[in-house]
Amino acid sequence: MNEKKKILIIDDDEKYLITTKEILEDEGYEVYIQHRPIGSTNAIKRLKPDLVLLDINMPALSGDKLSTIILSQEKDAPIVFYSSNDEDYLRRAVSECGVNGYICKGNIYELRRRVAYYIGQNRDEPLPYGGL
Amino acid sequence: MEALQMESLMGSPLAGSLITSHECVYPATTTSYVADRFFHAAQLDAVALVEGREPVGLVMRPKLLYTLFRRYGFELYGKKPIITIADTEPLILHEDERLDVALDKALERPVEDIYDDIIVVNDDGLYVGLLSVKQMIIQQSNSLANNIVQKEMAKERAKEFEKINQIKSQFIANVTHDLRSPLNAILLVAELIKMSCDNGYKEQVRDRVSILISSANNLKAIVNNVLDLSKIEAGKMEVICESFDLVQIIHEIAETAKVLIGRKQVDIDVIANDGPIFMNSDSVKIRQILTNLMSNAVKFTEKGKVVFEMSIKNNMVMVSVRDTGIGIREEDLSRLFIAFNQLEDGKSKRYEGTGLGLTIAQNLLNLLGGAISIASKYGEGTTFTVHLPSVYKGVYTNSNNKE
Repeated sequence: MNEKKKILIIDDDEKYLITTKEILEDEGYEVYIQHRPIGSTNAIKRLKPDLVLLDINMPALSGDKLSTIILSQEKDAPIVFYSSNDEDYLRRAVSECGVNGYICKGNIYELRRRVAYYIGQNRDEPLPYGGL
Repeated sequence: MEALQMESLMGSPLAGSLITSHECVYPATTTSYVADRFFHAAQLDAVALVEGREPVGLVMRPKLLYTLFRRYGFELYGKKPIITIADTEPLILHEDERLDVALDKALERPVEDIYDDIIVVNDDGLYVGLLSVKQMIIQQSNSLANNIVQKEMAKERAKEFEKINQIKSQFIANVTHDLRSPLNAILLVAELIKMSCDNGYKEQVRDRVSILISSANNLKAIVNNVLDLSKIEAGKMEVICESFDLVQIIHEIAETAKVLIGRKQVDIDVIANDGPIFMNSDSVKIRQILTNLMSNAVKFTEKGKVVFEMSIKNNMVMVSVRDTGIGIREEDLSRLFIAFNQLEDGKSKRYEGTGLGLTIAQNLLNLLGGAISIASKYGEGTTFTVHLPSVYKGVYTNSNNKE
């Protein structure tokens, strides 16, 4: 593999940042973390990540609102929601906000598989649950 | 009002249930005798002529008087049997006829007969009584008006219901997120621990297990809250009384709250009796209520102090928790006790917690015969005051959850 793919995780919950970072680093990605919604757009401009995992329930600014702000400035930002909300809710939020997709928190197998999918490494395999 | 409501719920009432009078005379009775009866009973409008319990005619007050007081009327008819000037083909209906049908039939009559009473008979055609058309009209318009009121009430109820439903679905959305979130964290941490073990990084395991435990505790607290609330809502929360010292509990809660302060510059002052104050109530629930208020105060206070104060007067215990925290806007006060209604939007709330604590505290207080009041100034702080009888006196119904 030439260069490592970059992933940015935006989440207010330290536990998720630490654990998800380590699991994805173990998969061979370069993982950056962002503790709060403010400054996310700049982080994306600076890092140019191949994938942004964006939490939804965050203080002051929810992830779905943040995604539209980011997309208004960085229209190709590869955002994927990463949340404990209902899958139905996430599906709706994906289409409403125009982001690339979602990953449900808590299923590590799916986390690995979906990250690979969204980052473009296993596009041939269909998504295991609720499409894009 | 209640009777009317019943009727409009069941549809139109039956003729037999609305009999307005049982007045009757023999057809052979003299006209002057019947006229006398009308003279002496101002409220009497009609008399039925009944022979062998079968109705054979009807006399209406205005018609009789009109006939008699026309020139020579009294001389002409006074001594003749009433049947000679009575209506011998009155409207006769069965007692099971519905009011609206009866009224339609009454109003189909010639104009001059419209207000004539209706004679009501039973299955055997025997006289039951008279039905006043005027009364029926009043009844009908009452129930119409009542229907309109009821429709309005139903609309209001539907609106209210919708609102409750909205809150409930918001509740479910929040509860699923708040239950899943710590559980998902546990799964992730467990995966990391597995990775540490696989890679032989034993020293990582200890730290990770600590995160695992705190996540599990967090989840347990939320699950307990949700279970408590559903128990309260189902009316299954029991009160178990015992004698205990409130002062001791207050000091214990204050100590626990100090741990929650962490690195914030917040002092906790306790103002309580020197000696013990014994209560006979449910100590577990009182502890839960006060712990909740104290942890809220500490959570929402960045700097300053939390004063935990108690007093007793006339067998009523008063405990207040006063903080110098963020305070609550006046317009938000009413939403405070609604489940899962942390004052910020669930998705962007700044503070952890389910927003169930106050709802539970209020419900538990109701159960114990107590009450809670609140005073707050936005930006300056909040005071919650709990009033509780020092001796629990039996069952209190939880009026909040009757809906």
